[in-house]
Amino acid sequence: MAGNEIEILLVEDNPGDLELTLHALRKNNLANKIQVARDGEEALDFLFCRGEFKERNRNQAPKLVLLDLKLPKVDGIEVLRQIKRDPHTKSIPVTVLTTSKEQSDLKSCYELGVNSYIQKPVDFDKFRETVKQFSLYWLLINTPPPPR
Amino acid sequence: MNIQANNRSRQPAFPKARPEVIDETEGAGSKQSAVEDAQRALLNILEDFAAEKNSLERGQGAMVNIFDDFDAERAHMEDVHRAVLNILADFDVEKVKVGLANEQLGKEIEERKRVEEEIHRMNGELIGANKELEAFSYSVSHDLRAPVRHIHGYSKILLEDFGPSLGPEGQKFLKRIQEATVHMGQLVDDLLNLSRLGRQEVSVQITGLEALVSEVLEELHSEIGDRQIEWKIAKLPFVECDAGLMKQVFTNLLSNAIKYTRPRDHAVIEVGQSHENGLEEIFVRDNGVGFNMKYADKLFGVFQRLHRKEDFEGTGVGLATVQRIIQKHGGRVRAEAQLDKGAAFYFSLGPRDGPLATSQIEGSVEWQETK
Repeated sequence: MAGNEIEILLVEDNPGDLELTLHALRKNNLANKIQVARDGEEALDFLFCRGEFKERNRNQAPKLVLLDLKLPKVDGIEVLRQIKRDPHTKSIPVTVLTTSKEQSDLKSCYELGVNSYIQKPVDFDKFRETVKQFSLYWLLINTPPPPR
Repeated sequence: MNIQANNRSRQPAFPKARPEVIDETEGAGSKQSAVEDAQRALLNILEDFAAEKNSLERGQGAMVNIFDDFDAERAHMEDVHRAVLNILADFDVEKVKVGLANEQLGKEIEERKRVEEEIHRMNGELIGANKELEAFSYSVSHDLRAPVRHIHGYSKILLEDFGPSLGPEGQKFLKRIQEATVHMGQLVDDLLNLSRLGRQEVSVQITGLEALVSEVLEELHSEIGDRQIEWKIAKLPFVECDAGLMKQVFTNLLSNAIKYTRPRDHAVIEVGQSHENGLEEIFVRDNGVGFNMKYADKLFGVFQRLHRKEDFEGTGVGLATVQRIIQKHGGRVRAEAQLDKGAAFYFSLGPRDGPLATSQIEGSVEWQETK
């Protein structure tokens, strides 16, 4: 994928979660412009056009980053910190989509400027409904920041 | 010492014998007077001598007295000496005692140091254990829920996409799997909540319980559904408590009351305040299925349930959570129930003699119908 028309950067290491999330997005016809990163480092490489993504157009930011917190190499909180610290990436909406709602995670994420925090429900119906709602909101209802 | 000195004995030997010059020319008359004078002088001398003897005798007496006194003094001195020796002996004993006491004190100081070190070490261990518990709970929160979600998700997809080829039996089993995973998810969440409570600090503020109860009832709307429940909510006090935690207490107690009155056509749920034996308590009472009081000790244990799962759903964490919150407020919770008649849960906040309410609403308890 050239990465030029990416709407969602899905950062997810767990294959089960990845499959179920993609399944939910597909059901809502939202799965065609998704870039998947399997760890924090890959996500940062994509966003900052480094490594295998160094040819990517830096001015084309995804409309939404869906970020898991427990990730190999660089964890989700650190990815969030780097996104929100850099002037080129800080306006990209980031939604944390994770299993837990530990107080410490909530606190860290909101302090770092996360745009939304969603705990994945155990019930798959509820999960699908959640995915549908936040995808519609961020991709269709919300007006994204102007391109840099 | 009583020496009686006689100063008179220091007088000159012949005080009255004044040497007189005899005038030869005065003849025999004057000779006679000279004899008389000598006689007088002699008498004087004798008199003086007698006085001197008396004085000497008195001196002797005084000396004897002095010796007597000296003896007494010596005896006294000896007594004193003995006493001093005794004191010295006692002092030695005392010294030994002090030595022992010092030794004991030294030991105690050493013991105290050891205990302090032990406390320090245990504190370190406790901090370590707490961190471990936090890490454990974090891991459970993240890692244990994930596979549960996956099981639910895949069984759902299986049912939707391949349901017809599974047949009704297969579909039923898939639904059971889903129910079990939802239950498992609830268990994990409840347990995490309970473990979080243990670490959470109670942040106390004056809270109106009446408003809190209405808030909870509004949130429990979906559990009530279209059931007809008679609510008897008494006037409730303002109390010092952690509002968030207290809300959870009422949520758990009221949701239990709603659940266990489900078989009742006419369910009655009361929330009120009672004053018995000097103890002020808040209670939640229902006319539901109740329970046998012989199982009352199990009621507040984690994962303890008194009803079959097919009759009443639940994880067995709700009342354990209530108890932990009330204990964190320094109060206690108790239950009164009768099988098939209903149950009542009473809780106090703070020590037994302490006031429950910071500002008591005056007057008798009036029932007010809210539904």
